[in-house]
Amino acid sequence: MMMRCKPLLGTFVEIVVDQEDCQIPIDRAFSVIQKIQELMGFHNPNSELNRINHLAHQKAVDIHPWTAQVLCIAKKIYRHSGGLFNCGIGHRLVAAGLLPRHITFSNHDLGGIEDISFLAPELIISRRPVCLDLGGIAKGFAVDMAVKILISEGVFSGSVNAGGDLRVFGESSWPIHIRNPRQPSELLEIGTLQNAALATSGLYFAKRDEQPSHLINPLSQEESFLQSRDSYSVLAKECIYADALTKVLALSQNQYHPCFKKFSAQAIRIAT
Amino acid sequence: MNWKPSPCALAGLALLTAPIIVQAKIYISSEQAQQILFPNALLSKSPLIITDDLQERMRAASSIRHPFRGDRIWQSSNGGWFVIDEVVGKHEMITYAVALNAKGSITGVEILEYLESYGYEVAEAQWRKQFVGKTSVDPIKLNQDIQNIGGATLSCKHLTDGVKRVTVLYELALKNIPVKTK
Repeated sequence: MMMRCKPLLGTFVEIVVDQEDCQIPIDRAFSVIQKIQELMGFHNPNSELNRINHLAHQKAVDIHPWTAQVLCIAKKIYRHSGGLFNCGIGHRLVAAGLLPRHITFSNHDLGGIEDISFLAPELIISRRPVCLDLGGIAKGFAVDMAVKILISEGVFSGSVNAGGDLRVFGESSWPIHIRNPRQPSELLEIGTLQNAALATSGLYFAKRDEQPSHLINPLSQEESFLQSRDSYSVLAKECIYADALTKVLALSQNQYHPCFKKFSAQAIRIAT
Repeated sequence: MNWKPSPCALAGLALLTAPIIVQAKIYISSEQAQQILFPNALLSKSPLIITDDLQERMRAASSIRHPFRGDRIWQSSNGGWFVIDEVVGKHEMITYAVALNAKGSITGVEILEYLESYGYEVAEAQWRKQFVGKTSVDPIKLNQDIQNIGGATLSCKHLTDGVKRVTVLYELALKNIPVKTK
């Protein structure tokens, strides 16, 4: 077994494979994640995401096929969640001090992901200025891409975990633990997982570290941050869906939201 | 997709809980990190005496108070640097390796060990002791039992500060050291 860990996507990304001598596949998987960070990171002012935020309301912007894929899925989840999942809340995270300010938006009527339209598979334009933040979906995508690379490089079985957004692949079943929202130092064993993804959102450390909540309801104009301390997990085939759908679960507080069935996902809520 | 929930997971009842140390993982050894970050290069150990003045300037530039140890520095035959350091937070201790090229740009960062704890300081010697002498080929039991944890991981902000301190070390000291010739 090999285990490696690198700081990426604002968290620690861990790759575990069931074989020895997999240095090259693991290196390649990490570089794919690095590439996604460069394209879709909000913190880097020169990322493609920030180029979209700067320009997409003025002219059509050519984007990388991976960014296109993420935006396309983000739009789909936006639609099926009735707007509960929306990547267009970057400015509200900036206002809360959770993201750096690259542009001053105060005098604009900002839109959301619904304003982005595709002119071609890799060409987008926005009806209104937008401040997109892919923080709630790109990590899941990065995990999926890393898994794809590992498999194509001949790895049979393993897992990729980006700060709690994780996916396991191969024949083995992996025991999965979730932090107890009542006591983050404890772990709850929720079962075993095979060829599936699990993402978890929660405000585990927000209170302790005196950080504001990062879960914002996009449908409400007021400053409406989620304050519940429960833990929200979603199981899905691919991590991009698991990641994005945890926001739908946290904001709807409904484990049976039709969105989950639509994307063949299963919601798990652990109450405090 | 195949999920076998543990019997009480669905009921949302109190599940089996594991002990207080949430994560204690040893990923790779220093030697393995050298191989990953400097494949095929020859590294020679270049310990550096960290004067109080240098220590103080590194602290000021990186806001890390935990003192830097100068005995874990290596130079590569092409002028690059391999530095091991750790960040010690209230709840975590992370040992990591940074690779710099001859011009001081970061070419890679690897986590060697990640220890996370609550209830008492991770820096506490007693708690640390259980990991002494362990390497990545000799994983501690938790390594095997608890692989995958959903739910927030601590953010890597402290680590970012740590990496910054290594770049400061380069600017203030390593930069002026000539490449060793055999």
